[in-house]
Amino acid sequence: MSQVNRLSRGGRVDRSQPLTFTFNGQRYQGFAGDTLAAALLANGVDVVGRSFKYSRPRGIVAAGAEEPNAVIQLGSREATQVPNVRATQQALYDGLVASSTNGWPNVDTDLMGLVGKVGGQMMPPGFYYKTFMFPQSMWPTYEKYIRKAAGLGRAPTENDPDSYDLINRHCDVLVIGAGPAGLAAALAAARSGARVILADEQEEFGGSLLDTRETLNGKPAAEWIEQVLAELKTFPEVLLLPRATVNGYHDHNFLTIHERCTDHLGETAPLGAFAHKPVRQRLHRVRAKRVVLAVGAHERPLVFANNDVPGNMLAGAVSTYVRRYGVAPGKQLVLATNNDYAYRTVLDWLDAGLQVVAVADARSNPRGAWVEEARSRGVRILTGSSVVEVRGSKRVKAARIAAIDTRSHRVTSPGEWLECDLVASSGGYSPVVHLASHLGGKPTWREDILAFVPGDGLGLQARVCAGAVNGVFALGTVIADGYSAGSKAATDAGFKAVNGKLPRAEERREEATLALFHVPHDKPTARAPKQFVDLQNDVTAAGIELATREGFESVEHVKRYTALGFGTDQGKLGNINGLAIAARSLGISIPQMGTTMFRPNYTPVSFGAIAGRNCGPLFDAKRFTALHAWHVKNGALFEDVGQWKRPWYFPKPGEDLHSAVARECLAVRSSVGLLDASTLGKIDIQGPDAREFLNRVYTNAWTKLDVGKARYGLMCKEDGMVFDDGVTACLADNHFLMTTTTGGAARVLQWLELYHQTEWPELKVYFTSVTDHWATLTLSGPNSRKLLAEVTDIDLDKDRFPFMTWQEGKVAGVPARVFRISFTGELSYEVNIQADYAMGVLEKLAEAGKKYNLTPYGTETMHVLRAEKGFIIVGQETDSTVTPDDLNMGWCVGRTKPFSWIGWRGMNREDARREGRKQLVGLRTVDPNQVLPEGTQLVFDPKQPKPMQMAGHVTSSYQSASLGHSVALALVKGGLSKLGQKVYAPCRDGRLIEAEIVSSVFYDPKGDRQNI
Amino acid sequence: MTAINVYNQRPADIAGQSPLHHAGFEQLIGKGRPNAGVRLRERKLLGHLTLRGDAKDPAFCGGVHQALGLELPVALGLVAKGETSLQWMGPDEWLLIVPRGEEYATELRLREALAGQHIQVVNVSGGQTILELKGDKVRDMLMKSTSYDVHPDNFPVGKAVGTVFAKSQLVIRHTAENTWELLVRRSFADYIWLWLQDACAEYGLAIEA
Repeated sequence: MSQVNRLSRGGRVDRSQPLTFTFNGQRYQGFAGDTLAAALLANGVDVVGRSFKYSRPRGIVAAGAEEPNAVIQLGSREATQVPNVRATQQALYDGLVASSTNGWPNVDTDLMGLVGKVGGQMMPPGFYYKTFMFPQSMWPTYEKYIRKAAGLGRAPTENDPDSYDLINRHCDVLVIGAGPAGLAAALAAARSGARVILADEQEEFGGSLLDTRETLNGKPAAEWIEQVLAELKTFPEVLLLPRATVNGYHDHNFLTIHERCTDHLGETAPLGAFAHKPVRQRLHRVRAKRVVLAVGAHERPLVFANNDVPGNMLAGAVSTYVRRYGVAPGKQLVLATNNDYAYRTVLDWLDAGLQVVAVADARSNPRGAWVEEARSRGVRILTGSSVVEVRGSKRVKAARIAAIDTRSHRVTSPGEWLECDLVASSGGYSPVVHLASHLGGKPTWREDILAFVPGDGLGLQARVCAGAVNGVFALGTVIADGYSAGSKAATDAGFKAVNGKLPRAEERREEATLALFHVPHDKPTARAPKQFVDLQNDVTAAGIELATREGFESVEHVKRYTALGFGTDQGKLGNINGLAIAARSLGISIPQMGTTMFRPNYTPVSFGAIAGRNCGPLFDAKRFTALHAWHVKNGALFEDVGQWKRPWYFPKPGEDLHSAVARECLAVRSSVGLLDASTLGKIDIQGPDAREFLNRVYTNAWTKLDVGKARYGLMCKEDGMVFDDGVTACLADNHFLMTTTTGGAARVLQWLELYHQTEWPELKVYFTSVTDHWATLTLSGPNSRKLLAEVTDIDLDKDRFPFMTWQEGKVAGVPARVFRISFTGELSYEVNIQADYAMGVLEKLAEAGKKYNLTPYGTETMHVLRAEKGFIIVGQETDSTVTPDDLNMGWCVGRTKPFSWIGWRGMNREDARREGRKQLVGLRTVDPNQVLPEGTQLVFDPKQPKPMQMAGHVTSSYQSASLGHSVALALVKGGLSKLGQKVYAPCRDGRLIEAEIVSSVFYDPKGDRQNI
Repeated sequence: MTAINVYNQRPADIAGQSPLHHAGFEQLIGKGRPNAGVRLRERKLLGHLTLRGDAKDPAFCGGVHQALGLELPVALGLVAKGETSLQWMGPDEWLLIVPRGEEYATELRLREALAGQHIQVVNVSGGQTILELKGDKVRDMLMKSTSYDVHPDNFPVGKAVGTVFAKSQLVIRHTAENTWELLVRRSFADYIWLWLQDACAEYGLAIEA
C-alpha cells in the first residue's frame, strides 16, 4: 500500500483523503485529486499494458488525452465495464477497479510476447493487408484473435445501470480549453455580456497553469485561476463545464461536448437526493455563434531506439506529475530535448530534490534563461547530442547519449551510456489542430515554430484561435492572445468588448527549437533497435520508411498501410514525427507531405452519451389511439404501423395467430366485427375550390359528388404511379373530409399543401389534419345495422342511408358522423366521434354487441377480409411502379376530366401503356391449403433453365377461413389476359407451388353484401 | 352556412377522456418530491379551433377581432385574454383555444363575423391537449428535448414555436415567467408524458391539479 514514488509535499492532491483502488487485481492507494495514471506512477507501477503488435511492455508516457499506452478497461462488474479509458484522464475514486486493455493473459508475462519477439518479420506494416485479407473467408477467424490479442477493450454484455443525457445549448461564445488562453478568452467574452460556455476536458480548470513553475503577478499561477473563476461565476450567462471534452466541430458551428458528470465519483452515478440516480454523462449539442479555440499544444516525443521502454516519458508529463500530483515517476532523470521549454522538467525535478543525470540538447549552443538556470544549478548538459538509444525491458536502466548531426542524420560519436530510470524527451510542441480540421480545413505549417497551426477552416468555422494552438507559447502573450480572442469572438457575435487588465507574466529569454524528430542511430533505421513513432499502434520509424519504399507516398496511404494515428490516438502523439520521417524518406518537406484528415471524435465517447435517453421505451415515439386501453384490456396483440400501435389480433386463450384470425374473419362475415380505424389519416378540406382541387389530385372525378355522399379515390404522383388511396366525403358544398392510408397521412397533407402553395395558389381551399381529433369505430358484418340501431338516433334504413353516404346523429349519446363505407365487403358503418368521447361509445357498443357476438378484430383480419375482396393496400400491392390500370382499377380514372390532373400525363407514357406490364390478379393455389409466401417470385415455366424468367410476384397471401382455401394477390406480367392459366412459385425452401390466375375478387364478386 | 358542415361535436352530459386520461394525474397530485423543479398540470379538454385565412386582408383581421376581441398575432406570437388564447401557427394559420364547450359557439361567431370570406375553421379539440409546466428547471428540461433556443432572450413570454421535441414534434408556448405550455397531439401524448417523466427525473416532477 506504500506509494513509493509519492513526494512528501507538493501537488494539488489531498493527502488527507487516501483512496483505495485495484489495478490488474492488485490493490493500491492513491489520493483524492489523482488521476489513475498519477496513482499508478505513485505506486511504482511501470508496466500498464502490452503493445498492440509486438506485445512489448509499455508504461505511462503522457499526462493527458495524448496518452497512448495507459488505455484501460474500467469497471468492477459486468454491467459497469467501460473500455478504452485513458488512465491519464480518469480521476481516481475510492474502490476504482481497472485492468490493462492490452496484455493477454496478463501484462507481466504475456503469451503474445513470444510472437512479439519475432514479430519484426511476422508483422510488418501492411500486415493486415498482406496476410489476413487472403483468403477473405478466414478473416473473421483471424479477427477474433487479433482483436483479443491487440486489446481493443470490450463492451459490457449487461445493461448499463446509469442514465445518460443529451442537452441542446446555444451560446454566443464557446471557449474550448480552460488554460491561460481559454480563461482569458472566457473572461473577455463574459465581460461583454455574451452567453458563454467554457468547456475543458480536465478535472479542474487551469490547463498548463496547474503545473507551471511560472508566476502571474509574482504569485503562483493557480491564484489567478481562482480569481478568474470567481469572476466568471458572477455572470449568470456563463456556463462552466469541467470534465467536458469538445469532441466534434461540425457544420454550422455545431459542436458536441462530452461531459462526464459523475465519472470521478464512482463507476456508476452515486444515489443523490430522494434516492435519485443523477445523470452520469451528458452530451451537449452546442450551437455557438463564435468559438474560441484555446486547446493548447501537445508535446512531441523524440523518436529514438527503444523509446517505448517503460520509463520513457514526455518531458512535460514528468513536470505535471511532479508539480500537480506530487509524484516522481523515477529517481534518476535524463532529459532529451531540442528546445528551451523542456528545461522546466529539469528544474522541477531538482526542486523536488531528485537527481538529474544529464540533459542531451540537440542544439549546439543553447543559452536560454532556463538552460542557464539549469547549468548554474550544476546540471550536466551535453549539447549537439541526443539520447539515441535506451536499455531496459520493463523499466529504463540506461540511456546512451551521443553527438548527432541533424543535417546528415548521423550519429557522430559512440556516445556514453548513463545509468538512469527515467528518460524525458521533448521534440517540440504541436498545436492541437484536431477540432480546427474537423470540417476538412487543412492545417498550415509554420517553419518558425516547426509545427502545424489551424488553417483558415475553409470558411466553415466561425472561430478564433488563441494561445498555443495559435502558435503563441510565452505565457504573457498567451493570456493577451486569449483575451483579445475572447473580445473578438464577442464582438463578432454582436457584443461590445470590455478592456481588462491582464496579469503580469515573467519575461524570459527563450531560443528557437531545432528541427529534430527522428534521432539518428549508428545503424540504419531498419536494423537499429525499434524506434517508435506511434506507440499505440506499434508503428516504427522503420515501418514508415518501408511504407515509402514500397511506394506509399500519399500521407493517407502511409497512414493506412502502417496504422499510424489509428485507434484512440488519432494522431495526437506520433503524427508529426511520422510525417517528418515519411517526408525525409521521400526527400520532400513536411508541408509537402501534408497531414491526414482529422475526424470527430477527438477522444472516445461512450455509446450511452450518444444515445442519451433515446433508448428502451423512448427509443422511438409510439402513437396510440384513444381506444388503446380497451384493446389492451381485451387482450390485443399489437402491430407497428409506422409509429402507431394498432391491434394486430385479439387471441382468446389457447389461440394462435391463425386460429384467432380465422375466428375473427368468420365473425365479421357471419355477424359483426369491430375495428379501430382511428389511425387512418383524415384531412378537413374547406373552400369554394375544394372540389376542383380534388379533381386535380385524385385520378377520378369529383364534380358530381353530392353533399352527403362519399367516394373512393386514388392518388398518383406525376409519374402516374399510385401513391395513396382513401374515401373522401362531401360534407357540404365547400367542405370535404378526406381519408388517407395510416402511413400516408402526413405525406398526403404535405402533398396537398405543396401543390396548393406552388402550383395552384389561385384555388381557394384550406387543408387541416383532423387525424387525431376523430376516433373511428368501424362496425362491419351483416348484423352491424341491427347493432348500431340500438345505440343511435340515426335512421339506418337502407334507402335513406344507403351505401357510400354519411349521416350525422348521436351514437351512444355522443354527436357523431357515420359513414357507410366498407373495407371488408360487408355492410359497414364507420362511426367518427371526437376522440375524447370515443371510449364511452366503444363500451356501449361492446355491451350492446354481446348478443351479436360482436368481435373486435385487428389489422391481420382486416388484411384477410379485404384481400378476399381484392381491395388493394397501397404499399403492399403497389410499390411506386404501379398505375391504376395495372391494378385493374381503370374505373377509378377520370379520362375526360378537363384539367390535366396529377398523374394523367405520366400514366399515358408509352411504357405505362405497353402490353405485358405487371397486372394485379388473384392466385388460387391448386392445393387449397397451400399459402403462397408473400413476396415470392412467379414463373410461367418451372422447367426452364436457371436463371428463370420472372413473371411477377405475390403481393398478399392468406388462408381464407370464409372461403376454405388460400387467397393471394399478385402482380403478374400480362396477368389480366392470362386468367385461367397457371403460374408457379419456386420457393426458397424448395417447394414448387402451382397456382391458377383468377380474378382478384374472391368473395362476393357482385358486391351485394356491402350494399344492402 | 350551408357551404360548410358545422355541428356541436361535444356531448354536454358525458365526461370526456383527455389524451392523458390513462396517466391518472388525479392520483399523482401531491406525490412528487417537495420543491420539484418541474410542476405539471394538464389543461385538458379545452376547445381547440384551427383558423385559417388571409392575414393581409383587413376584413379577415377585423372579423377575427370582432368575433374574439383579440388581434391576430404575427409570426411566432401568442395573445391571450382570460381563458382564450390565439396563437400564430403559420402565415395563414392560427390556433384558437377557448374554455371547454365554447368551441362550437365560437366557431359560429367566427363564421358569422367572417361571412363571405374564404376561411377555414376546424374543430381539433379532440386531437390535442396542453401540458402546463412551471418551475425553475423547466428550461433545462426543454433544452434536453428541443434544439430550439429557449433562452428568454430568444424565447420571451408571448412567443410560441412549433418545433422538434425529443423524437416527435409539438408546440412550445411561453405563457409567463417560468411557465411554459406544450401543445401535444393526442396520439403522441403518451410518448411525451413518458419523456417528461424521464427528462425531469433529476429535477423532480410534481403533478398539480
